[in-house]
Amino acid sequence: MRIVRGAAAVGVACLLQLLLLRYLPEIGKRCDLFTVVVVYYGLTSPASAAMLMGSAAGLVQDSLLHVVLGMNGFKKTLIGYLAGSIGSLFMLNQPLPRFALLFIVTILDPLADLGLSSVVGQSFIFPETWVVLQRGLGTGVVGLLAFWAAARLSARR
Amino acid sequence: MAGVLSERKPFLLLLALLTFNLVLMSSSDRGHGRRSVLEEGLLVLSSPFLKSASWVSQGMVGLWRTYVDLRGVEEENRRLRAQVDSLGEEARRGIEARLEAGRLRETLDLKSALEYRTVTGHVIARDDPSGARVLLLDRGSNDGIAADQPIITPRGIVGRVITAAPGVAKVQTILDPNSGVAAIVQRTRAQGVVVGEGDRACRMDYVTDLASVEVGDVVITSGLDQIYPKGYIVGVVTAVGEGQGLTKLVRLKPEVDFKKLEEVLVLLKPSSPSSGEIP
Repeated sequence: MRIVRGAAAVGVACLLQLLLLRYLPEIGKRCDLFTVVVVYYGLTSPASAAMLMGSAAGLVQDSLLHVVLGMNGFKKTLIGYLAGSIGSLFMLNQPLPRFALLFIVTILDPLADLGLSSVVGQSFIFPETWVVLQRGLGTGVVGLLAFWAAARLSARR
Repeated sequence: MAGVLSERKPFLLLLALLTFNLVLMSSSDRGHGRRSVLEEGLLVLSSPFLKSASWVSQGMVGLWRTYVDLRGVEEENRRLRAQVDSLGEEARRGIEARLEAGRLRETLDLKSALEYRTVTGHVIARDDPSGARVLLLDRGSNDGIAADQPIITPRGIVGRVITAAPGVAKVQTILDPNSGVAAIVQRTRAQGVVVGEGDRACRMDYVTDLASVEVGDVVITSGLDQIYPKGYIVGVVTAVGEGQGLTKLVRLKPEVDFKKLEEVLVLLKPSSPSSGEIP
């Protein structure tokens, strides 16, 4: 059941991200819903589940974005591990720490891209700082909203 | 050993997944843009969501287009309504012009058949909306109109001029109780005087009890009053009863519909002192 929910979550993230990029591109470019899903799983599930979810979500993202397959899978696996580890060490059930976690993993994303691109011999143009910050803020805000919605759904069940 | 493995299980899983992804990355890079089986598999797995996104997109586009179309239909509807209103107004004017032309043609026919000079006048006012005892015409003394000149229409007599001023004339209709028209029953030549009773009705006084008068008989002017020329229709008998003394009580319905009266002819009788050339 957990696997089904995870697949559904990745699917919904994929769907919403595509719709946002198409109809609200300014918002779609400034948030990463796959990261939101992986962090949510990291905070609410064991680290192993979060890593598997991260790997799957990253690979789906790779297949959609037509980048080097495995790059996002690698990054999201790390994010899942980090979120799962931090979530097991600290009580991250308040909005501010969750926002901070989402913000940090998002702004670290280009750094990981830079490192991985150099490993596989791909060129990478590092985005401007304000673009990275905007993306971190956007993912943080959207993530908090998604966490709130998921908590409401869980409470109903 | 088993305990150590269990403790390090997440870390081992991390290593395995990272290695797996690194292998994928390196193999993808060697593929020079060609999609691997795994990538294609992932695409197949994510295709339902892609299709859903496309479906939702198309739905939204369809909704938007429908909305835009509806806005267009609303705009067109408003424009067509305005057009219908405009055409309705034009049609109404056309009907009005046709009716007026018909009335004027009748009046013109009558005018050409008359032996007197005439002036065509339009009714511009009445004494009150419910009655028609007194009318005002848009022609007056400067058109040759003077007091006691008769007013007629193709359907019959209307009344006589009681006052004429420049540009306007006041007419006493045969409905006025103070009016009197010397008349005869066309069929039997029985004589009498038609007096107004108001409210679209008249009565014929002084008809001898011996005279034959029936409902439906036409009453015409006799010319004996020196105002109305002989032979013009006054009305039709609607009731016959016993009057005072040796007379009959004869009720008439005038042929002229006074409440709908619009155009009339004023007969400029030669005997009239103020009659003259039409300017």
